[in-house]
Amino acid sequence: MLAIADNYFAQFALPVDFEINSDKLGSRYRELQAEVHPDRFAASGEEQRLQAIKLSSYLNEAYETLKSPLRRAGYLLRLRGIDVEQVAQSDLAPGLLVEQMELRESLAELPGGESAFDRLDELNRKAASWLAERQRQFVRALAGNRLDQARKLFHELQFLHKLQTEIDKKEESLESVADF
Amino acid sequence: MSLLQISEPGGGDPRRAVHRRAAGIDLGTTNSLIATAIKGEVRTLADAGGAHLLPSAVQYGAGGVLAVGAAAKARSAADPGNVIVSAKRALGKSFAELQSGGGFRQYRFDAGKGDAAPAFVTAAGPRDPVEVSAAILRALAERSREQTGEELAGAVITVPAHFNDAQRQQTRQAAKLAGIEVLRLLNEPTAAAVAYGLDRREQGNIIVFDLGGGTFDVSLLSLRKGVFEVLATGGDTALGGDDFDQAVADWLIARSGAEAVAAADWPALLQVANQARERLGDADQAEVVWRDWRGALDAAQFAEIAAPLVRRTILSCRRVMRDAGVDTGAIDNVLLVGGATRMPLIRRAVAKFFGREPLADIDPDRVVAMGAGIQAEVLIGNQPTGDFLLLDVNPLSLGIETMGELVEKIIRRNTAIPVAKSQEFTTFKDGQTAMVLHVVQGERELVGECRSLARFTLGGIPPMVAGAAKVKVTFQVDADGLLSVSAEEASTGSKAEVQVKPSFGLDSGQIEQMLRDSRDHARDDMLARALGEARLDATRLMDAIGGAIKENGEILSAAEKSGIEQALAELRDAMAEHDSARIEELTQRLNHVSEAFAARRMNLTVGAALRGESIDTLSRETE
Repeated sequence: MLAIADNYFAQFALPVDFEINSDKLGSRYRELQAEVHPDRFAASGEEQRLQAIKLSSYLNEAYETLKSPLRRAGYLLRLRGIDVEQVAQSDLAPGLLVEQMELRESLAELPGGESAFDRLDELNRKAASWLAERQRQFVRALAGNRLDQARKLFHELQFLHKLQTEIDKKEESLESVADF
Repeated sequence: MSLLQISEPGGGDPRRAVHRRAAGIDLGTTNSLIATAIKGEVRTLADAGGAHLLPSAVQYGAGGVLAVGAAAKARSAADPGNVIVSAKRALGKSFAELQSGGGFRQYRFDAGKGDAAPAFVTAAGPRDPVEVSAAILRALAERSREQTGEELAGAVITVPAHFNDAQRQQTRQAAKLAGIEVLRLLNEPTAAAVAYGLDRREQGNIIVFDLGGGTFDVSLLSLRKGVFEVLATGGDTALGGDDFDQAVADWLIARSGAEAVAAADWPALLQVANQARERLGDADQAEVVWRDWRGALDAAQFAEIAAPLVRRTILSCRRVMRDAGVDTGAIDNVLLVGGATRMPLIRRAVAKFFGREPLADIDPDRVVAMGAGIQAEVLIGNQPTGDFLLLDVNPLSLGIETMGELVEKIIRRNTAIPVAKSQEFTTFKDGQTAMVLHVVQGERELVGECRSLARFTLGGIPPMVAGAAKVKVTFQVDADGLLSVSAEEASTGSKAEVQVKPSFGLDSGQIEQMLRDSRDHARDDMLARALGEARLDATRLMDAIGGAIKENGEILSAAEKSGIEQALAELRDAMAEHDSARIEELTQRLNHVSEAFAARRMNLTVGAALRGESIDTLSRETE
């Protein structure tokens, strides 16, 4: 049915790189799903259907890993044999911790009314620009084979990503009481 | 019903000679439809009178089912307790929820015995929502049989995308009871997108806004070269046209100054409200006559009455766009599905939010059944499978309870299915030999605020120090959206597995409530989570140190021992407070004063382990 490649990038015929062509990823994903999805085997035997579920699940996992910049970064480190599950406090630069505190504080002290949304937009932009900057540094570290630095940057990306989720949550909770 | 058994171990030939009758069924809250291929084209089937919609109403008499469909619906005012309408809203609900549920003011309920679902009390005895749904499905299957001359070999039945596991399971049970083989449960907005997309050869991003009689879904799909990829879905399984009728009915009661309305009078009142609402579709004002009160409902008044409901639909739209990370500017088309989208105020709200006029030239009632019919043709093997493919998602997050009553989400909402995800967990106490796994569904961070799906126990974990065992928990969701969970302990291979078949007093309204709450309480959750985590870390450390002192206390000096004990006591006091920062600080201190002790103890343990174990066991444990 489907030949399993050495890594997720190869599975979608993409170079092993943080920079990714997402149109290509999407179209390749859909082509491969069209071959292995369980619906293609609705009339086949049990064994083939089970195999289809496995392959289709595998493709979904591979696709979602590469689609998300954060998960893609973690995966690139894993390919270099680095365990990203473990995180130590010392992996996080003091500067980041300060930025984090500031952002979290502004999140907790949002003004009332419409201006809260403007403030959230601003925070979102800030987080996004820090994220973009660290992604660039991550790419450089990886290219220069400075793996320990890349790992630290990855954990910082994780931190910033979590902050973005918190901003989103905050936005949702404000929306549910706002008028629009 | 006997089914043709076609066994094809070598894989199916799509052009097989045997044609099997397949159909798509839209089992709706208010109306239901069936669609099947006639001369190669999938279309909905009409009754002898030319009506495609079968009202989802069943009348019961002493001998059983008296009527299904329009005839039953027509008698609803005259025989209120025995004509069951909107049974779909009761699927998966507990007795308590049905008793208090606003949508069911005219019925009495029977709690049911043991695991049995709560039931409507009718002249034929108690009839649960599964039985009522089965009666509707049977009537549709009969319509297909009469018109095609063939037995139904299989059907794709549509469900709201936001239906939870319990509601999906009960829909399956209803089909089973009606003698219908279910090829697939298909999400309603996805079905609509298929019918529409294939018809128009549409490409790009489309929104399906599906407001039916009792449920609301909104899905964002990407259509590319025959592949329908759901990017995100959201909604509310307790929001539909019925709620707009109820709101108008409440307005009518207030306006007319009526005293309390008897349960038996509700069907008549709801009909008046419904007619007024539907007339407002074409006119600015609708005359209303109820009992001896005569008045009018105008569009502005209705807009005011309906505003909170409209708002809820738009909130779901925002959430879906955010989940998909797509901007409204990137939407190519908006498709309206479900009879309730005929309301002009809904069309206006949708147009405003997405910044484009929604498509209104398709029949919003029939498109879901047609999409299901097309999928049924493919799944049963009448159609070559290469034409199109559906890639759907899991609508609600699935997770597991961890210490501190926190939820660890394993599969997040809007993850593409089928999917399998694993995560490792460990033991909390020294020598712990079993682990209870509690599977939950929902978006909140605390277990008590999510829906409980199943509990099972993994036993046979070898006794080890806390945190040494590695238990791998795997969640799998298949293409039907059904979940199974398994757990395995790495060093012994001890296994436990469970297919989640919820048999609890289920509810669906809770799901949306949970979604809403998770928006409203995001901050509470964060604080509660921080406190829960701090307490958990503290407990874990106190337990470990307590155990260590008992075991190796002799290697401590008196000064060390009193230092540790003092830190322990302070932390224990702080645990009673709700200050997570203080708990964290004291935990750190305790950790610090016991560091040297832990290091010496580690040397002792490793030494002992190396003497006692073979290399084989060791290497497996450290893997």
